[in-house]
Amino acid sequence: MSVVSGLLDKYGIKASLAQADDFEKWLIERNWNLYNEDKMNNRVVIENEIKKLGIRFANGTVKKDYNAQIEVPFDLVCDMWIEGLEQTGLDWTVEDITKCENKADSCADTLQENGINSDNEQQDNPEVICFCEDKNEKENPKGDKCILKIFGKPIKSGDFTIKLCYKHYGWIEGEPISYINIPIAFNPDPRSLWRNIPTPEKSLFYKPDAECEYIKVEESETTGPRKDVVAASQRGRSHAQDGKARDDHFRLHHCGESDWYILAVADGAGSAKYSRQGSRIACDTVVEYCINKLKDSTELEDAIRAYRTADDEETSRKLMANVIYSIVGNAAFSAHKTIKDQAKQTANDIPGVTVKDFATTLMFSICKKFDFGWFVASYWVGDGAMCIFNKEKGTIKLLGIPDEGEFSGQTRFLTMPEVFNDGKAIMDRLRFSIEEDFTALFLMTDGISDPMFETENNLNNFNKWAEFWDKLKNGFPDDEISGVDLKDDNEESKDQLLKWMDFWSPGNHDDRTLVILY
Amino acid sequence: MRRLPVYIVIDTSTSMRGEPIEAVKAGLKSLIESLRHDPYALETVCLSIITYDSKAEQILPLTEVYKVILPELVAKGRSVLGEALSLLCIRYDEEVRKNTAEQKGDWKPLMFLLADGGSTGPLAKSIAEFKKRTFSVVVACAAGSKVHADVLQKITKNIVYISSNKTEDIKAYFKWISNSIGATSSKIDYCGDNDLSLEELPPMPQEIMVLHKD
Repeated sequence: MSVVSGLLDKYGIKASLAQADDFEKWLIERNWNLYNEDKMNNRVVIENEIKKLGIRFANGTVKKDYNAQIEVPFDLVCDMWIEGLEQTGLDWTVEDITKCENKADSCADTLQENGINSDNEQQDNPEVICFCEDKNEKENPKGDKCILKIFGKPIKSGDFTIKLCYKHYGWIEGEPISYINIPIAFNPDPRSLWRNIPTPEKSLFYKPDAECEYIKVEESETTGPRKDVVAASQRGRSHAQDGKARDDHFRLHHCGESDWYILAVADGAGSAKYSRQGSRIACDTVVEYCINKLKDSTELEDAIRAYRTADDEETSRKLMANVIYSIVGNAAFSAHKTIKDQAKQTANDIPGVTVKDFATTLMFSICKKFDFGWFVASYWVGDGAMCIFNKEKGTIKLLGIPDEGEFSGQTRFLTMPEVFNDGKAIMDRLRFSIEEDFTALFLMTDGISDPMFETENNLNNFNKWAEFWDKLKNGFPDDEISGVDLKDDNEESKDQLLKWMDFWSPGNHDDRTLVILY
Repeated sequence: MRRLPVYIVIDTSTSMRGEPIEAVKAGLKSLIESLRHDPYALETVCLSIITYDSKAEQILPLTEVYKVILPELVAKGRSVLGEALSLLCIRYDEEVRKNTAEQKGDWKPLMFLLADGGSTGPLAKSIAEFKKRTFSVVVACAAGSKVHADVLQKITKNIVYISSNKTEDIKAYFKWISNSIGATSSKIDYCGDNDLSLEELPPMPQEIMVLHKD
């Protein structure tokens, strides 16, 4: 007797064997279909709920740590996994699988999933973005969710589709596995997009794409430790991208006998065709001019000492200004004229060339240590920054006002006639200062000052300079750029500084030049 | 860090249903893909998408290119261009950074409009508001013959026209937008300003006809 005939008998139903068999078949087939329909409905409801979650992944960046997580309540899924992740180089894991298997009887009827938000760098903000409405979040007990984490470093850029597979709540062996396709995109490493095309050496007014220099001024018995100068100039990424020349320039000199330091930095205008030559002439001319003038610096040094001890500050300041004007101011004017001559000469070969094609900024400084402290005099036209930084005292002194237009790039140039309109125009750009001592004197082009300070306001803020000093010394560990070891007589610091200049700053791709007297 | 904001305003009314909206989706997808591979754009460009049908909606808030996840686009309803412009003004005021003493503001935003058919609802007030905002360049593209050029002319002098709302033309327009954004982001790197006229942007592909320009 079959199970069914027995059951029929139990309920007092008389049925033939054939009837019982037929009833069994009818019973099973009909209910099996019903059961399957029910199961499928359940699955479809959950599948729709999952779709409604709108699970999306934040974009990642090649070779940068990527982290994302998906959380789905256990009343929707009892297990989740990812397929198709191999192509991306990422890995996945499900957290607390034991909890998953226990199928926590969460009463939550809403769904949510949250992202991890690591906020370390702008290119690196992995998070899961949820487009679903966050309904009744407060009423939901947190936890009791199946948590899936995706992590690793993407190996290549592009758009990928990965498959989130899951067993819906109530899944039984033999039932189909549900899945949704989720797009995931990885940005290329921005560094890899920049090309580095060398400037053709045969091009007119060629100069190397990078340069660095160290002036070691060793101590003697009478002087004690003396300040050194380190400088580096690096072609900007936008120039490297197109194989265009570096427009920045610097020139350093230390007069062995008189102990004068002469430092010059110039930034050729990006829009001017031969500004690389303009910046070179500017630096060379002022340095040569000052070397000559300072061969016999008696007049200047007398004026400095007189100023120090003067009763009548006003008069001696004027006297000082006149002497500085005759050296520093005239040096600048001489550079202006030399560039004009160059333009005329070039115009002989290339018609139409004017001094505008040689447009450049210029800042330079002459400094010397006296028994009473340091004397610093300077001239500055254009943007960038020139500053005396004293870490111990917590002070900074900008040696002028950066000529910044409303937008970056709109500045004044040494090559503009109005800069040398009259004596006052020149005088306004001259500065001098007497300092007991200082940590460093910086001269930099806007390729450095823009990313480091951004605004003129920040240039006047000591804390920003202290931060800058720390960045110089510590480098940028996240970008694997080491610091510059600014200890006395460390000639290697010139290469360190050049490497430091590769620092990464989105949107700042100008040539970078930095001179440090320390 | 100075960003280059780009506002893309798209008509998603019923007339865009079918092939045109698919072309817009494909166009946006390749636009994002190509900006991601442009070193200048990847660092500076921020993208926002505003769609308008029966209502205007900012389906993508101003987002850095590397973070952009393309949202869904559905074509339905009328074309409330006025509401789209008003929404654009509100979002502009909230999203575009101004110069402060501590921080340099964003570059002047670019705006690209794709209009299909006419517009329903009030317009004059929205256009007046819109005109108060500064843009580096505003380009309106009229798709199909039903577009009232006189309406677009009130918004901008830069009007281009694609003969019909054919897939290829729409894609060509987006390709040109992506080239223009790329060119602008590298221009600001060199020159430090982004005042543009249509002539300074990359040449139009042949599918696009220039109706008016500055």
